[in-house]
Amino acid sequence: MAIVDTRDEPAGASAGAGTRARRPHRTGRAPSEPRPYVGWLFVAPNLLGVLAFTFIPLISVVLLSFTQWNLVSGFAGIEFVALDNFLAVFQDPTFWRSLVITIVYAGVAVPLTLVVGLALALALNRDIPARGLLRAAFFVPYIVNIVAIGMTWQMLLDPEAGLVNQALGAFGAEDLPQWFASSNWALPALILVTIWSQAGYANLIYLSALQDAPTQLYEAARIDGAGRWASFRAITWPSLLPTTVFLLVTLFVGISQTFGMIALITNGGPGDSTTTLSFYMYQTSFQFYRFGYASAVGLVTFIGIFVIMLLMWRAQRGRALHD
Amino acid sequence: MLRASGRSLSRRQFGTLGAAAGATALAGCSASSPKDMDTLQVWGGVPAENGPQAVIDRFQEEHPGTDVTYTPYVNDDRGNLKVNTALQGGVDIDVFFTYGVPNLAMRVDSGLAADVGDLVRAAPELEMFLDTEDPKAMIDGDEITALATTRIPQMVLFNEDLRERAGIELPTQWALEEYLEAIRALADDGKYGTYVLPDLARIELGPNYRLTAQGDSNFSHPAFLQHFDLAAQLIRDGVLYPWSQALARQLEAYQQNNFIAEDFGLWTTAPYSLRFLTDQEEYPHDFRVSAAPVPTVDGNDWNTGEYGAFIQINSKSPKQELAWEFCRFWLLESAQDMARAGYISLLGDVDDDELLDGVLGEDAEQFFDVDSFRRTLFEDQPRMHLDTELTAYTEITQKYEQQRDVCWLLERSPEKAIDTVDKNAQALIDRFEED
Repeated sequence: MAIVDTRDEPAGASAGAGTRARRPHRTGRAPSEPRPYVGWLFVAPNLLGVLAFTFIPLISVVLLSFTQWNLVSGFAGIEFVALDNFLAVFQDPTFWRSLVITIVYAGVAVPLTLVVGLALALALNRDIPARGLLRAAFFVPYIVNIVAIGMTWQMLLDPEAGLVNQALGAFGAEDLPQWFASSNWALPALILVTIWSQAGYANLIYLSALQDAPTQLYEAARIDGAGRWASFRAITWPSLLPTTVFLLVTLFVGISQTFGMIALITNGGPGDSTTTLSFYMYQTSFQFYRFGYASAVGLVTFIGIFVIMLLMWRAQRGRALHD
Repeated sequence: MLRASGRSLSRRQFGTLGAAAGATALAGCSASSPKDMDTLQVWGGVPAENGPQAVIDRFQEEHPGTDVTYTPYVNDDRGNLKVNTALQGGVDIDVFFTYGVPNLAMRVDSGLAADVGDLVRAAPELEMFLDTEDPKAMIDGDEITALATTRIPQMVLFNEDLRERAGIELPTQWALEEYLEAIRALADDGKYGTYVLPDLARIELGPNYRLTAQGDSNFSHPAFLQHFDLAAQLIRDGVLYPWSQALARQLEAYQQNNFIAEDFGLWTTAPYSLRFLTDQEEYPHDFRVSAAPVPTVDGNDWNTGEYGAFIQINSKSPKQELAWEFCRFWLLESAQDMARAGYISLLGDVDDDELLDGVLGEDAEQFFDVDSFRRTLFEDQPRMHLDTELTAYTEITQKYEQQRDVCWLLERSPEKAIDTVDKNAQALIDRFEED
């Protein structure tokens, strides 16, 4: 028989507790164990979001890539074309040109962003005046609205009235770059703006990684007479390798999908000099209304990025410095 | 920690709540919401206050008990996507306006527009829309799915101060050579002659100028090369506004600013731009403006403007009769109200002077040489066009503009640029014909 101590409890509460304690649980679950749906209730909003805005669109893109559809004709206008879109993609010179532009854009912008981010992190990890303020200042571009970034850089890089060319002119430079008004300079200018806006993110991640660096190894290295460069090469860089790969992957995925800045500043031009794959996808879908074809371009791009990510991941395995 | 208690949801309650939420969501997604049969829903690209609301007010006066709701949209890629999605998704739209032939073709081909052929044929006052030689409607056999409400003639505007200073006589008819002389004379003292040349190939070739009679690319026609070549040469000479600045500052939609700032003394544009010239608050200036016709090219005189602002009835609208009544009213009685937005209606019981008053605004004499506008816009009867061959229209436009940009940035020779346009256009035509 259960003994219930009721000395410090009101009568009703005691009765209730006693009742609950005596009632056998239908599922055999302990009374304090939450019901199984409670967990689902918590994750439901996120799950629904992922389902509605990631999973269903992804499946839709896969399905649409085998069709011809212009959106305006409604679902009744969807026509199954098997692999025609994929065959057309591989024969489309604009696709290949956009692929090259994307590779050049991301291939230059990502490593340079990492270099700038790492350099900033190494500098800001030292005991320098106004360190907190500087850390915040370098992170600001990453959180600035893309429209503000676009308009500001458009003004700064104006070939005639822009501050950059005026400064270059003041230093005696001739034949000044035309930046966004030149098919030769537009992509480098875009890379410059991208590095400026993303380096703060790389800096932040590197800073947190540097603060986790194994200090005992630096002590040992110092005792062994290692200089700064030797310490960086033997300790800092290997310990940052997982972070670098993480940044490489996330930045590559993010930058290769840049759309807003291109749409705002260059609209893919001059000519097609800044038409990356993501912008080409936008053009084929929302300007030309060829949603099936755009989906095929999107799917091929997705597979390409996925393969590159896998290769990056495999390349770094076993090279990191572990404690 | 959350505990299962008397206040928590039971499994049954949770299921009921989920079902209710699902039903609500589905109801929200449903396209078959009940429609108000006495309210006509009209979507258009002109702000309501620039004319549409006045037309609607008069329609409502004449049709007591009928309400018309006007929804404005921005006539750009995003605005048109919004309209297309709404039409396709079953949003309550009865009448809509379409601007630009590519959008028109897509909406017609997708069955979004009702056939009004029988109704047009039954209305003698709308006879002009049956003309297939000089089309002003989307006609396919007996089917008519769109009616142009306006003509948008292009004209050449002169800054009168700069014209007089350059000693140029205001032309009433002129050839390309005289036009070139004029812009060269205006390009002086840090100013340019004009922003951009009028489309010389269009003036020479007229409608459907991108395609040959056989449906192939027509960009190998010398008129296209002449346009690219002449413009590049004039940019190099400092006669045309530098294309690098036009691109860097995205001036295509803001040419009025440079005309007002007197960066150039001559500007080829359409009547809808005149509103900037009467707005002294936003665009203060102290010069008057006169108008001249677009120059002729080798004796050819197609105007570079076109028929536009097509009115269409949603094929899914349950209010077809009322929608047609509204379309008819708009076609026949909107002229004076829409002139304020710079729209010159094709029909209507309004004479040219009344239209001119509407287009030029209240203080016309203060800002304009009114006679020159009357002559250019009305008396000359400019030859308008409407492209009806639309294979890969938007894609070819994009390829053309890409090559135009690099040519006028002086990075690519006109020959190479036009050759690339020609090849790209032919490849697109071949691909689209396969599809």
